[in-house]
Amino acid sequence: MRQRIGLLGLGFMTPALIMVVVFFLIPVVMTGFFAFTNMGTATGVSGGEYLLTPKIIKHFEAGDQFDKTTINALSSTSYSVSDAALAKAEKAGLKKKYLQEIGKRLNGKTYAKRRDFIRDLKKLKSRPRNQRALIKSTESFSQSIINKRFETLEGFKIALQNTGVDLQPVQTDRVIEASYTGWVWTTENFTTMFNKPDTWFVAANTVIYVILVLAFNIGFGLFLALTTFYLPSGQSAFFRAVWLLPRISPPVLYVLLWKWLTWDTGFVSTILGWFGMAPYNFMLGSVESAWMVVVLINGFVGASLGMILFSSAIQAIPSSILYASEVDGANRWQQVRYIILPQLRWPILFTTSYTTLSLLTSFEYILLSTEGGPGGSTNVWSLEAYYTALNNYSGNLQYGYGAAMALVLVTIGVTVSLLYLRLFKFDDLVSRPRIES
Amino acid sequence: MSNENSRNFKSWPVTVILSLFSVPILVMYLYLIVDTFTNTEPGSLIPSEFTLEHWRFLWHTDPGAVSIWTATANTFIFASVMTLVILSVSLTAGYALSRLNMPFRRFFLGGVLTLHAFPTVTLVIALFIVLQMVGLYNTLTGVILIKSALMLPFGIWVMKGFYDTVPWEIEMAGVQDGASRFMVWHKLVLPQIKPGLIALGVFSFLEGWSEYVLPQIFTPEADVQVLSVYLASLIADDQKFDFNLFKSIGLFYVIPVVLLYLIFQNKLMNIYGGGSKG
Repeated sequence: MRQRIGLLGLGFMTPALIMVVVFFLIPVVMTGFFAFTNMGTATGVSGGEYLLTPKIIKHFEAGDQFDKTTINALSSTSYSVSDAALAKAEKAGLKKKYLQEIGKRLNGKTYAKRRDFIRDLKKLKSRPRNQRALIKSTESFSQSIINKRFETLEGFKIALQNTGVDLQPVQTDRVIEASYTGWVWTTENFTTMFNKPDTWFVAANTVIYVILVLAFNIGFGLFLALTTFYLPSGQSAFFRAVWLLPRISPPVLYVLLWKWLTWDTGFVSTILGWFGMAPYNFMLGSVESAWMVVVLINGFVGASLGMILFSSAIQAIPSSILYASEVDGANRWQQVRYIILPQLRWPILFTTSYTTLSLLTSFEYILLSTEGGPGGSTNVWSLEAYYTALNNYSGNLQYGYGAAMALVLVTIGVTVSLLYLRLFKFDDLVSRPRIES
Repeated sequence: MSNENSRNFKSWPVTVILSLFSVPILVMYLYLIVDTFTNTEPGSLIPSEFTLEHWRFLWHTDPGAVSIWTATANTFIFASVMTLVILSVSLTAGYALSRLNMPFRRFFLGGVLTLHAFPTVTLVIALFIVLQMVGLYNTLTGVILIKSALMLPFGIWVMKGFYDTVPWEIEMAGVQDGASRFMVWHKLVLPQIKPGLIALGVFSFLEGWSEYVLPQIFTPEADVQVLSVYLASLIADDQKFDFNLFKSIGLFYVIPVVLLYLIFQNKLMNIYGGGSKG
């Protein structure tokens, strides 16, 4: 019997488990794996090719692994006569007789310079008489590794040998590594993240953002809950409805209304205009005003959560206690300070921890309002991860680096959630089933 | 406590302070309605003429643009299918977590709570790549699956809460009479949690209706746009900036939300108390 209930339970859980595995577990594992690669638009997600570009050569010049002659040899073009080259030349439309003669007399020869190749060609009887045609005929025999795509490592290695450049094994590896266009395993994402000053700036922004919005949410939520509690019921219903509006409005519309309120053509500027002040865009005008608007936008939404939770907690306080204090002559402030606030300890703690976590990872309202501006000054961690990996103006999406940033968030998020489970006495939430136990 | 005549306290200063704080919201939502029917001279706040031209988007679509009705239909499909998925999956999972003695129960519960606050941006990067690989990028199916899955831990948690309130005696009685646990769930428990089902359903629908980030990432293309993406892309277009038009579309967009909210207000309060936004 017991086992059958277990099976029924697992059967009931199966659809949920499948969705969780597919949409949470697998993506998180993938994120962990992407974080250690340099994946991005430039590398693609599947494999890559080998391509040595002039840009890479330039990079080598700047380093000290390659001497000047090696670099010149790598980037120069050599000429060699082989069956493959002859076939290619035939396709290019060179005369058969001429090619046969080249094959007989020069097969297997390699020339580092075109001049030497031409000198040998001039000895041939069937060569084109026209100087220009002669030069053109060398093209099919040219061998350069620059700007040529190789799908396999083997192909690239052979081509590298065919250039005739004398490379040490270390140098060969370096060339291969630099020429690969696909993604590779790397821990560079994390070292870059730690060394980039931008990262610390964004991290600091995130902390400021969370603290300011949190303070507003809790403080103002508490204020709303207390004041609406003491107001006549008609008034308190009205104010609660008003403060719920930001929460139930779709974010796009809500932020649109803020834009109308704060932009230079908007409400506030119009009113200030009557007093002779120049129109001013508060949302993007200066760093301070942008922060203020961001905090207010998020705070007005968040305050209602505190309001609802605290209101229901206050209503749970037995009214006899409040009446008794009233009779004893306590004023409202004393009631709040000595009766209500002590009762709100747990709801406040819960709201604080819940809000911290969701603020840490949410970026919707900032994305819609300032987009992290002006000049990145209101950019926060999760928004930066979003921009890096999924949406930026340069179009160079860095999945790997974005995933690394996101991984930091996951680590913080999961650690904090586990702490909360302890703090809020998870065991109390898990009461055991009573039938068949 | 609505005893406004208390000796120790006058309520009007509180009313004044609260009203002052509420001014920005009142102004924003008042002008949301006023501006859609009127024109106002620049530099003034008093409307100068009545007009219906801001609502022309309802019957007139610019060539090359998406019709508002396409976007509305997409939003409706998105929100309602997502609601169905969440309801059906959390209906069984919530019961299992609340009442059934099964292996790993503690682990599942802890997992649901942890996932509840999971950073979306983490999952989104990987899902973006997966969706492109399996060809569900820019399809409603893809974004519906993702949004439902991301909301699932919340749905399961809420459903579990509703199951927890059903008295054990009902189930005990059923089991005593020889019914199987499945039968008990189906015939006795399900009718009890109907209010919870409605509340979670309405809540999920509203969440889906309002969602912006996920459709923006996974279905940005014109013919699968939902209303939020439609409106956001209009606002982002610097060429034709027209607050009155935006507000009209916004009002059109928010009307179903307000209606649903007014009808199911009391049921929803339960869930808003659980909170899903910052």
